Amino acid sequence: MNRLNVACALIGTSFGFCFCAAGFNRYDVIHRMLLLQNLTPFLVMGSAVLTAMPLLWLLERRRWRTPLGGDLQLRRWPVERKHVLGGAVFGCGWAITGACPGTISGMLGAGSLFGIVTLAGFLGGMLLRDTVAERAVREETAPVAEPATSTP
Amino acid sequence: MLHLLPDPLPWYIVGPLFGLCVVALYAVTNLHLGVSGSYVQIIDAMRGRGIEVWRLWFLGGLLLGGVLATILGTDHQAGLAYGRLGQLLAPGALIPVLLAGSVLLGFGARWAGACTSGHGISGSSTRSPGSMVAVGTFMVTAVAATWLLHLATGGAL
Repeated sequence: MNRLNVACALIGTSFGFCFCAAGFNRYDVIHRMLLLQNLTPFLVMGSAVLTAMPLLWLLERRRWRTPLGGDLQLRRWPVERKHVLGGAVFGCGWAITGACPGTISGMLGAGSLFGIVTLAGFLGGMLLRDTVAERAVREETAPVAEPATSTP
Repeated sequence: MLHLLPDPLPWYIVGPLFGLCVVALYAVTNLHLGVSGSYVQIIDAMRGRGIEVWRLWFLGGLLLGGVLATILGTDHQAGLAYGRLGQLLAPGALIPVLLAGSVLLGFGARWAGACTSGHGISGSSTRSPGSMVAVGTFMVTAVAATWLLHLATGGAL
C-alpha cells in the first residue's frame, strides 16, 4: 500500500459517490436525459467541466509539480477516426442500457442485480474490441501469403 | 437507505464535485481520470498481461463510493429494478437486451479510447481535441438512438 494507491482510492470513492448521488446509476434518469426531457444531468456534466477546465489550465500554466507524479502533464489526443466510430458505437450502447462505465460501478454499488449483467456485457465488449484490434495488427504485419498457383 | 442526502444531490454541488475529482487526481498524481481504463485492468489481468495497479485502487474506490452514496441516500436501482425498461421487459427479455447494449458500450469505449468520464469530463477539461470529438459523437448518437427507441416503442420507452 503506497501513497499513490491510497490517493487514487480516495478520489475514486468521491467519483463513485458522485455517480450515485447525482442519480446517474438509474436508467430513468439517463433515459430522460437522452430524450432531452430532463436537462439537469447536462448541467452536472457542464459544471464539472467548467470547474475542472480553468483549474487545470491554471495548474498547467504555473508548471505545477505534483507531489506523487512529477511535473504536471495534461493528456490530450489528436482527432482520429476511432473517436467518431468508437463514439458512435458507444452512444448506441448508452442509449440501450442507460448505463455508462461509471454508472455500472454505481449500479453495482447500489446492489443492482442487472448491473452484473451490464458489467459482464461491458467487459465482453472491451475484450471483443481488443481481439479485433489485435487481429488487424497481426494481419498487417503478417508476411504476404503465396499467390495461389492453381487456376480453376 | 438512510435518506440523509437530497435525492438527487443538486447539480451545482455534484457537478463541481465531479470536476474537483479530475483536478485532484491530476494535481496530486499527474494521472488522467477515466473509468473504462480501470475496467481494462480486469481484462488485462485475466489475459495474464501487466496491469496498472493504481487503476484497480481507483476502481475499488468507485464501488465503495457507490455503496456509501446508496447507504446515505436512496437505493432506486437495488435488486431487480431497472426503471422503465425493467417495467416494459420481463427479466428473460431484459437480460439479452442489456447484454447486447453493454457489449456495444464496451466495444465503443475501448475503440474510442475512453468513455463518458475519460473523454467526457476529463478529456473535455484538458481541452483534448479527440475527446471533444468523441463526446460530440456519442452525445448525438445516444440522443438519436434513444429517440428511435422512443418512437419504435410507441412512446413506451
